[in-house]
Amino acid sequence: MVSKSKRPPPDPVAVLRGHRASVSDACFHPTRPILFTGSSDGELRIWDTIQHRTVSSSWAHSAAHGIIAVACSSLLGTYKVISQGRDGTVKCWDIEEGGLSRTPSLQITTNSYHFCKLSLPKKPIANTKQGNETVGIGLPCDSRGKTANDQEKCSNTSEDPFQGGLTEETSVEGLKYVAMAGEQSSEVELWDLTTGERTVRLPQYGSADSSSFSIKQRGMCMAVESFLPPRSEGFLNVLAGYEDGSILWWDIRQPGIPVTSLKFHSEPVLSLCIDGSCNGGISGAADDKIIFYNLDYPTGSCVVKKEIILERPGISSTSIRPDCKVAATAGWDHRVRIYNYRKGSPLAILKYHHATCNSVSYSTNCKLMASASEDTTVALWELYPP
Amino acid sequence: MEAAAEEEKRRREVEIQVIEKVGEVIREIERAKHAEQVICALHSLAVLLFPIDSSLLSGSIGERYKEQIVSVKVHAANERDDWWRAFYQGAAFPTLARVLLLDVASNWLTCFPLSAKKHIYDVFFVNGLSSEVVQVLVPFLQQSSSNNLDVNAIQSNVERLLVLCLLDNDGVLKMAIDLAVFPKLEDITNDRLKSAVSGVAQIVTSIPDKARLRAPPLLSSHFFFKQITIQLLTGMVERLAITNNIDVNLSFLGEIFSRIARRGSSDVLLSEVTPQILRHVRSCLSSDTDVVETDVFESNPESQLWLKIMEAITDPYTVERIAEQLLRQLATEHASDIEAYLVLWILFHHLLKFQSSVRSMFVEKFLLWKVFPVCCLRWILQFAVLEYSPINDLQTKGHETTNGLLHTVERLAAVWSKRDFVQSAPLEQQAYITAALGLCLEKMSKEELDKTKDVLHSILQGVSCRLESPADLVRKMASAIALVFSKVLDPKNPLYLDDSCNGESIDWEFGLTTSEKGSLSISNAENKIDETGTSQTAGSGKGSDVKSKSKKSSVFSLVDPDEIIDPATLNYEPVSDENDDDDDASQNSDSSDSSLQPYDLTDDDADLKRKFSQLVDVAGALRKSDDADGVERALDVAESLIRASPDELTHLSGDLARTLVQVRCSDVSVEGEEESAEEKRQRALIALVVMRPFESLDTLNKLLYSPNVDVSQRIMILDVMTLAAEELANAKTMKRKHQTGPLISTISEPQPWFLPSNTGPLGAGSWKQVSDTGTLLNWSNRYERELPLKGGHVKRGKTRRWSLRSGNLHENQIEWSQNKFPLYAAAFMLPAMQGFDKKRHGVDLLGRDFLVLGKLIYMLGVCMKCASMHPEASALAPLLLDMLRSREVSQHKEAYVRRAVLFSASCVLVALHPSSIASSLVEGNIEISEGLEWIRTWALHVADSDTDRECYTMAVSCLQLHSEVALLASRALESAETDSYTVNAHQCIDMEQRQKARRR
Repeated sequence: MVSKSKRPPPDPVAVLRGHRASVSDACFHPTRPILFTGSSDGELRIWDTIQHRTVSSSWAHSAAHGIIAVACSSLLGTYKVISQGRDGTVKCWDIEEGGLSRTPSLQITTNSYHFCKLSLPKKPIANTKQGNETVGIGLPCDSRGKTANDQEKCSNTSEDPFQGGLTEETSVEGLKYVAMAGEQSSEVELWDLTTGERTVRLPQYGSADSSSFSIKQRGMCMAVESFLPPRSEGFLNVLAGYEDGSILWWDIRQPGIPVTSLKFHSEPVLSLCIDGSCNGGISGAADDKIIFYNLDYPTGSCVVKKEIILERPGISSTSIRPDCKVAATAGWDHRVRIYNYRKGSPLAILKYHHATCNSVSYSTNCKLMASASEDTTVALWELYPP
Repeated sequence: MEAAAEEEKRRREVEIQVIEKVGEVIREIERAKHAEQVICALHSLAVLLFPIDSSLLSGSIGERYKEQIVSVKVHAANERDDWWRAFYQGAAFPTLARVLLLDVASNWLTCFPLSAKKHIYDVFFVNGLSSEVVQVLVPFLQQSSSNNLDVNAIQSNVERLLVLCLLDNDGVLKMAIDLAVFPKLEDITNDRLKSAVSGVAQIVTSIPDKARLRAPPLLSSHFFFKQITIQLLTGMVERLAITNNIDVNLSFLGEIFSRIARRGSSDVLLSEVTPQILRHVRSCLSSDTDVVETDVFESNPESQLWLKIMEAITDPYTVERIAEQLLRQLATEHASDIEAYLVLWILFHHLLKFQSSVRSMFVEKFLLWKVFPVCCLRWILQFAVLEYSPINDLQTKGHETTNGLLHTVERLAAVWSKRDFVQSAPLEQQAYITAALGLCLEKMSKEELDKTKDVLHSILQGVSCRLESPADLVRKMASAIALVFSKVLDPKNPLYLDDSCNGESIDWEFGLTTSEKGSLSISNAENKIDETGTSQTAGSGKGSDVKSKSKKSSVFSLVDPDEIIDPATLNYEPVSDENDDDDDASQNSDSSDSSLQPYDLTDDDADLKRKFSQLVDVAGALRKSDDADGVERALDVAESLIRASPDELTHLSGDLARTLVQVRCSDVSVEGEEESAEEKRQRALIALVVMRPFESLDTLNKLLYSPNVDVSQRIMILDVMTLAAEELANAKTMKRKHQTGPLISTISEPQPWFLPSNTGPLGAGSWKQVSDTGTLLNWSNRYERELPLKGGHVKRGKTRRWSLRSGNLHENQIEWSQNKFPLYAAAFMLPAMQGFDKKRHGVDLLGRDFLVLGKLIYMLGVCMKCASMHPEASALAPLLLDMLRSREVSQHKEAYVRRAVLFSASCVLVALHPSSIASSLVEGNIEISEGLEWIRTWALHVADSDTDRECYTMAVSCLQLHSEVALLASRALESAETDSYTVNAHQCIDMEQRQKARRR
């Protein structure tokens, strides 16, 4: 690789100012030039990413608790956004002309009070490109047979709504589930966004094979990423990072015991990100490491591709661009770091924020990146145009 | 008896004959009308005394006299000897010599042909009995003008004869031999011989002093003594080689040597003696290499000779001079330890054994009073204290230590430990005694140390009182002794008080090259301090380098698969191949991957530190001593925040000053970076004093005498005040340059009226119309032009900054300095001067904390200088002088304080305006004039009697300053006198008298 003369790292193309407290999360709309940001005083703002102006602002959660995460996804629907507050609720909002709907279209009271950002399922890009309808139809057919088998094994009745829900999910909008850390903070819970009910808890106690498995010693669940691995036949998989630095790979068909248990980090895992093809990802933690890994679904193995040692510890968020070329991390050291995702080599250190970065996020069209920071600003970056 | 009487009688007869003959010759000379007659007369006597070949003369004189000369009767050889003896031992020679030296020399000698001069004139002196000849010749050196004789001719003739006799013809050696044979010839008593010997020696050695200024250089003391010494030494050694016994009068030799030494030319003497004896020792050493014992020298005749020479020197002063010079010469000759030991042994071992004065000379005088190079010190210790050869030292390790060593150590330690000694002895002396003590201690064992009395106690005392000295060198001495001492007590656990001396061997010269340069090189010591300082920082730098390197390596190193101990590691495979494949694939698949060029990846953490932007926060952070990081960052920004001089600084400054003084930098900062923290703290304090002098000085002066701060804090306070005073004195003020724009704008500008005006910064481009492509109908024209980058503006960062003053304002401003100090001078000086002589709990400036006192006086001096030529100076000067004049200050035991006083006194001299001195004289204000007079007398006193080198050089320059000031003041006074007639005449005269005295 021939490196050109050292260019100075670029500045943000725009800085979005307006929040009055630490911006905890940012999320692009899957199709429209809109950015959602949530701050720790409960404000949810919608930004126009072309004009760089606030479209609307609303108090999605109470100021005392604030917002942990905002999320939207094509699977959820183009006019919906989810916000997660530290008040133990997750709210699903409709986007209207003037901004958010006055009241959330769905409010789930999870009773979980923690730092774990929720996760909407990710689908391999290849699948979405082929068209949702074919896949969407194909998936449940296969899964129905599988679940039937599972059902025989699992006597738990709480499994039924989930199975039913999944079979019902044949629509274009796909999987309306959200994963997050549960009421028991070491557990991961999956909630159905259409019904607002909890469907699965991981691990599932009482199931036959989970008797020997205990999660307690791993501490709180700090990061969750749910995804649909290729060839998983439509069954959600979940990666969950825990306080002791370990990462568990769950398959919801086996809620009692994880597929794989990994330990890359020595400190709590703070962020997990799965790439667009769902074959690999990045994890960041409170220690000074960033791990690039490959996931192989059929064997259930996770292989470290690259380990990066940082000068200063603490990665609060990671994001991989949908085209899987570059990845970004948001550091406690105020810096956003850009890596070549395939090689794991560093590309840039972006210094703009003067407080901890809470979140980085790429837009679906790969053109923009947003970084949200405790300094109440959100910066928009254009690096390595696709 | 018969024969003796016969002999006596015969001698008498010869004597009478000789006298008669001499009388005849003298008469003839007196009668002579012609030079040749004189020659004949002299010749007639000479042939009777010396074997002269008359034919040698015949060529040069006339025919008539030639006959006469040839026809003169000649004695037989033995008769001639009798005559010779009678001539020289009796009265005949002095009589004739008088005629020869006065009359013949002045009247006839110039007419003598050369051969005649040599054979019948010089012969009387050259071939005579040299001891007699010298006795006759020397008085004529100082012949005063008498009668009508040519004094000049007489004196130069005598000088010529002396050179001829004594130097060219080895007269001194002859004398020595004669004097050895003398008693055999004549039965004179020992006493008479002795007095004769000393008389002759006295006369010989007095020649250089008696010789005229214009005398030939051969008679100058340096050359003359050198020649004599060479003559005697080589002559003796040669004769010893031939006859194998000593046939020289050694007491004469001893007398000559001691008189040379007494006359202050011992260096000349020893410059000859040392190479001789060193050559002797070296030849002995080289002849039998395997074992050199002192016995070898015992039997060696030459060694015996040297021994006897030394015994012949009875004068203790000479012995001392010789020993001292010998040591120095050996050092310059770079003699080895063994050689030097043997030389000392040969010359002095006998004396050392039998003469207590010699022993005390070596053990007391040379160790405690003199200063030698360190190698000489080693030899002295080896020879006089240890009393065994350095060879034995190597061969048998466990040598029985003599009592001498223990006594010496006790004495040295007693002297070394005294505080007076540390305060008043010159540094060279201190270094020397320290070296002596150290070298002695090195030879001792723990058991021996236990045997001594008080050594342990006095060493501890000495070390502790040295460690608090302001001079680095003195502290170094303490740590060197402490190191040696600790090695004696426990060889495995040496005590290093100082980082600089961590080598195995200690430099006992302490960087002082006393003997060669003779000057104390303090700058050298300072350099050393600097070096150690830089080495420390370099070390720390290296450390950080290593750190960063290791960091880098850890970043770039590939992760070792074995590092992770988890079931997951089973999945951990080397994935490089796969990775490569991946890369290839990606490069094949999308060519745009090449666009992923990395940006500059350098990163620093400068922005990560929390910045303080309020002084209150700074003060708060400084108070939290447990948050080292916070304190450090607060120190980082403190100065700039204070310099910004916000309004609240007025209220905060006292508090902030106290906090800054009490911050413990050493606790806060990382190892090796204490100094930078210390510096930041100091700079912040300086800024504080400069920005808000009254408020902060109030606090600082209170702290200065508060029992809650330690010496280092007090010194820092004083340093801060000093630097702040200097900064205030050199304060620069910005003044806006008055900009003169055109008052009337000209209408006839070469541009259309609708264009914007051309005024603006230099280098701006011309206006251009901006083409709008919006609508066709465009009523408003827009213009733009390029502007140059502003002067002080640097394009950097992502955030725009606004400030009241823009960068290019500098150009429009002129700088002018204004001394702001005088306004605050009283606030600086008066409170600090108030309490210096009070002894309170923890504060004792006059005694223990003399360093603080010195700094305080220095600070006051600097303040004075900063206020110089201002009226405040003349108001404050009497007060400062009052303080300096107090006995405890000006006569302080520590040189450090005296130096500071001299500095301050000089500053007062510089600071006072001559006209103000003059006016104070006119007005009858005697405070200032008395103070100045005191400076003069006191500086004179210091220049005369101070032991410290720096003190007296400073005193001399202070005197110089004083005289200059006095001159200026008297001029001012004169001009004032012409203006007004109300001059206090008495003081005016007093002033002028003083000035005259100084000029003289």
